[in-house]
Amino acid sequence: MKMVVDVKSVKKVYGAKGNVFTALDGIDLSVMEGEFIGIMGPSGAGKSTLLNVIATIDQPTSGDIFIDGTSILTMNEDQLASFRRDKLGFLFQDYNLLDTLSVKENIVLPLALAKVNVKELERRVDDIADTFGIRPILEKYPYQISGGQKQRTAASRAIITNPRLLLADEPTGALDSKSATDLLESLKELNEHRQATVFMVTHDAFAASYCKRVLFIKDGKIFTEIVKGTSPRKEFFNKVLDVLSVLGGGTSDTV
Amino acid sequence: MTLFSLAKRNIIGNFKNYLLYFLSMIFSVVIYHTFVSLRYSSEIEKNIESFQSMRSVFLQASIILIAFVAVFIWYSNAFFTKKRKKEVGMYSLLGLRKKTIGKMMFYENLLMGAGAVIAGVLLSTLLSKMFTMLLLRLLGTDVDVGFTLSLEAFGNTIFVFTCIILITSIQGYRLIYNFNLIELFQADKEGEPLPEVSMIGVIIGTILLVFGYWIAFQPVDSNGQILRNLLLIMGSIVTGTYLLFRTAIVYLLKKAKEHKSSYYNGINIIGTSHLLYRIKGNARMLTMIALLSALTLSAITIGTSQYYNFTTHAKQLEPFSYTYISKGDIEEEKIKEIIYEDKNHPVQAELTVPLLKVHTDPSDTDLPEYLEQLMAEFPEEDFINLISAKTFNQVSAALDRNEKVTLSGNEAAMIKPRYTHDSFSDYEGRTITLKLPEEEKQVRFTHLLEGRVLSWRYPDAYIVLSDELYSEMEKQIQPVAYKTYQVKDQKNTELTSNQLHQLGFDDLKLSTFYKVYKRGLESAGQDIFTLGFLGLVFLAATGCMIYFKQLTEAHSDKGRYEILRKIGVRKKEVLTTISKQSLFIFLLPLIVGISHNLMIVKVLLGINLIGGDISIPILTSIGFYIAIYLGYYILTVNTYYKIVNL
Repeated sequence: MKMVVDVKSVKKVYGAKGNVFTALDGIDLSVMEGEFIGIMGPSGAGKSTLLNVIATIDQPTSGDIFIDGTSILTMNEDQLASFRRDKLGFLFQDYNLLDTLSVKENIVLPLALAKVNVKELERRVDDIADTFGIRPILEKYPYQISGGQKQRTAASRAIITNPRLLLADEPTGALDSKSATDLLESLKELNEHRQATVFMVTHDAFAASYCKRVLFIKDGKIFTEIVKGTSPRKEFFNKVLDVLSVLGGGTSDTV
Repeated sequence: MTLFSLAKRNIIGNFKNYLLYFLSMIFSVVIYHTFVSLRYSSEIEKNIESFQSMRSVFLQASIILIAFVAVFIWYSNAFFTKKRKKEVGMYSLLGLRKKTIGKMMFYENLLMGAGAVIAGVLLSTLLSKMFTMLLLRLLGTDVDVGFTLSLEAFGNTIFVFTCIILITSIQGYRLIYNFNLIELFQADKEGEPLPEVSMIGVIIGTILLVFGYWIAFQPVDSNGQILRNLLLIMGSIVTGTYLLFRTAIVYLLKKAKEHKSSYYNGINIIGTSHLLYRIKGNARMLTMIALLSALTLSAITIGTSQYYNFTTHAKQLEPFSYTYISKGDIEEEKIKEIIYEDKNHPVQAELTVPLLKVHTDPSDTDLPEYLEQLMAEFPEEDFINLISAKTFNQVSAALDRNEKVTLSGNEAAMIKPRYTHDSFSDYEGRTITLKLPEEEKQVRFTHLLEGRVLSWRYPDAYIVLSDELYSEMEKQIQPVAYKTYQVKDQKNTELTSNQLHQLGFDDLKLSTFYKVYKRGLESAGQDIFTLGFLGLVFLAATGCMIYFKQLTEAHSDKGRYEILRKIGVRKKEVLTTISKQSLFIFLLPLIVGISHNLMIVKVLLGINLIGGDISIPILTSIGFYIAIYLGYYILTVNTYYKIVNL
């Protein structure tokens, strides 16, 4: 199996002399093709920083990151932009939809930017519309739809380019439990049926229980890791909660 | 900490946010104070002959400026407070009383206003020397100007701006009372529905514009028609322009959206949808700016056309350097002496122009329209001036003109009256019956001549007759002999001209080219300065309004561009889409403004408000307009890009 992400002893230090804060303190991790990986940890542990450096939005202070075998630290601004466009898909807590575009336009935006021809573009929207159940709202505008619909729109946009890696930052954070479950089911289906590689940061144990593997971060270091294997989701959920209680200082959302 | 010091801290801490507002206030103060200083300038008073009339023009102009400056400051204040709504909401949420917040906003605005007035007055004092010199140069006087401080001007500026700033400060005070907390917090995220296109609007708008332009190209005959046409043009153009921006542009953008292969091609999708999203809020501003620029451009064109053409006008009004009625007495000798004594301006031609003053027969029905009107106006006077073809040709030669006329028998040539658009067809084949003491003589018009012979006076009717007819008439009436001189470099004959006028020989009807020229120069210089000054200020301010509006949009677009960068839009592409969108917003009023301006100029030409060669004035004013907008465009794109890329 191919390695999609390879993070090698990455450090990220904020602030200048005298007032230094270490967000990431020598993180090593690798993500294989077709994995659904979750990152958990208390607030301030460095989850989002890790996601941002992998997403090429932020640069690490030291260490190296390879995505698909290419180091992303040697790329310039324009190369990074193209890289993000071609290889990565993003899903954020606050959806990040453009309110000037309709749902459909939001979804095809990455394809339009990559200058994919109109026919292919329509075909892919058609293909994805049912996976996320957004066909009835394609012509609506973001301010006309609910939070769950917005997040499903965002998810459609994230995967329409068939990215090598789907990065999700607290995707269920702003959703009610029904919408959250719908979204997680969709992500799971994507992962299982389309072999999409998903990298999700969450503080919600319920969301984490959909992952195949969950990493726990504390104070910028990897604390531990648990693998779902063949155990049912309910059981995995309890395991996650156990680790969280050991980890302390953090979230204890219950289902 | 007192409220006052909190306000002071706010200003210092947020200086970057305040800077734009502060600068636009300084700009207004500089403009206004400079103008007022000129009004009270003693330097100008000393050097200008028609200072009183100029003062009244400046007074009117400064009233326009007050109105304008007030609107401009009010607009930038609105832009500025919009950015601060959230902050004000936050204070309120923290439990500060409305009254306290209001007072704080009031103090802030007051402090900034005071700062701007001080800075502006200092700056404009430095600039006023430059402007005074510019004005005096335009008026044809070169003097060295020192720095002057006029207390009157200072008082005037302070008074005007205290009023304006007090009003905006009260506006700031009211801010917290005018909105609910929730509105203050949501100032940035208004979800505007997409504008609907009504085809009726597009059609009506187009029809109105076409109609307005069509009327502008219709010939007008009477004053009533002129007034009616102006009203029709104004109404249809104003409404048409608004509908154009409100519906037609939306329609075009929607069409662009439907054209999928280009819409879904790269960054176009962003640019088009952004423009469409904003067009509703922009329509009114763009309409106002397009119309205002059209008017301003026309005003500048009028001003510059007068400046470019006043020498030609002066030559038409006063063809010779010196002209008077020759009576062959001592007075005439005196005049001759003065003219010949002026060694710097040697006489190039000296000529006697005899002319006969006669009347026409009231029962004459075949008169050209122009003469008919004069006839009705001067039924008793001998208003028709007759000269011989020989004299006319002599005048032409003396003034280096190429126009020559040969007439025989009862052929006659009309010299084209000034301030008319008469053409030969108005005279061709018409006749006039000239009333002489012993007989009546009918002559037939066969030519229309351009070259003017004597000083312009109303009624302006000169008819050239064949030499034999003229000499026949000369036997019956005593001719009036005008003595004319053409000298070298007549534009600089100030000394001689003044000397001659001081003689006080009123009955000789003495007139000099210099006097007419100088009067024309002063009024044209004054016009070009006032109109040019106001025009540039207006154009600069309209550009500034677009700039402010675009910056407001940049601030609310920040999030959108952040999303775009996250999903992999290159910085270069961001720059491209910003450039394209801004270009659209700047180009629309520019094109519409210029087009309307050309139309207005056409109307003005049609009603003789301006004349002569106006291509240079038009090109100059349009050139300035484009240059100003280009500057703002570059500034806008840069600032916009910086804001969204932070």
